Amino acid sequence: MIAVLGLVVGVVVGLVVRPVVPSGVEPYLPIAVVAALDAVFGGLRAMLDGIFDDKVFVVSFLSNVVVAALIVFLGDKLGVGAQLSTGVVVVLGIRIFSNAAAIRRHVFRA
Amino acid sequence: MSEEHDHPDRPPAAATPEPEPEREPKAVATPESRPAAEPAPEPAAVPEPRPAPEPAATPAAKAVSAPEPGPQAPAAPEPAEPAAAAPSGRQRLLAGLWPPRLSRAQLTVAVLLFALGLGLAIQVRSTSDNSALRGARQEDLVRILTELDNRGQRLQDEKRGLENQRTQLETSSDQAAEALKQTRQKARELGVLAGTVAAQGPGITLTITDPHGGVEADTLLDTLQELRAAGAEAIQINDVRVVADTYFTQGADGVRIDGHKVTQPYRFKVIGSPQDLEPALNIPGGVVQTLEKQQATADVVRSQKIVVDALRPSEQPDYARSSR
Repeated sequence: MIAVLGLVVGVVVGLVVRPVVPSGVEPYLPIAVVAALDAVFGGLRAMLDGIFDDKVFVVSFLSNVVVAALIVFLGDKLGVGAQLSTGVVVVLGIRIFSNAAAIRRHVFRA
Repeated sequence: MSEEHDHPDRPPAAATPEPEPEREPKAVATPESRPAAEPAPEPAAVPEPRPAPEPAATPAAKAVSAPEPGPQAPAAPEPAEPAAAAPSGRQRLLAGLWPPRLSRAQLTVAVLLFALGLGLAIQVRSTSDNSALRGARQEDLVRILTELDNRGQRLQDEKRGLENQRTQLETSSDQAAEALKQTRQKARELGVLAGTVAAQGPGITLTITDPHGGVEADTLLDTLQELRAAGAEAIQINDVRVVADTYFTQGADGVRIDGHKVTQPYRFKVIGSPQDLEPALNIPGGVVQTLEKQQATADVVRSQKIVVDALRPSEQPDYARSSR
């Protein structure tokens, strides 16, 4: 419950305060958000499976974000930034879908 | 979100046994329930459970954990083990949502989700504004920037010229005379454009001789457009001054320009930069080659002094008056 509140408060603060993102971080923000979403879906599924562990969740969340940003950074340096970030989004999207399917099976039993 | 460690002290989970009576005796046997419950803690070490362990681990955990609440109730302190209880994912979710519990896990997850929500909101905000340039490619952006730079440069030049005029108007001892001078200057410039005053300057003379009569009005028009594109400032063809609304017609008796009959040789007197005008006519596939294909000869002569002295009458508009 508190976790859900954290998400809601985050969205509200982001919309109200309008923080300025430093331009160096700007290209990595969208991919980091998608990676974090993947971690969140994975955590939700783990919770429904009864194997949720907060330490694992924290580590996976942070490492997902860092690795995704690193891949984009590397892609930018190699000149294939757009393609590589597309690839990252596709992979994360597949994972999100499979996690969502598992969650759906738990919640709706279907 | 819930976590395994608060299961033992969680009343709702313990109070929701699934009706599977025939399993109950089996689960009482502690040695049997322990090993069966063990697969669960192992995937806990994995960040996100992979699809493979999921179908195997979940039914096993469900089947075993379902009857657990009854027998486990006396042994409450020890099942701090993960996957000890929790009947189904749905119940786990509801239990995690309500009642809210303040635990370390909840707080860390809340902090991370706060960061996620913040990032999400910022990204959505920044994507929703100035979307016209956002999707543009890098080369397009560079081109747009260059165009803007050029335009800014031109406007700066124009501004500087106008500021000079204003300074002269303001500082000149005889302001009326200065204003008159500038107005006359402006009138002369406009007169050259409108064809109402004669003009002179460097340029070229283009003579088209056409013994076979193959040159028609469209060819002359092409020639004129080519000259204009190359920066011609004042043009006269034979005795007709060419201005913005000049037109060519092709009749049975030959070519007419603005209604005046012109006969060959067609002599174009053009004021402009000679080193721009002559190559523009001589480019491969250009005016000169086209004329030669029509068995006409074109002769281009550069000159430092071309006089364009054919005039057009300045027409007073009947109804329109200057509003100043």
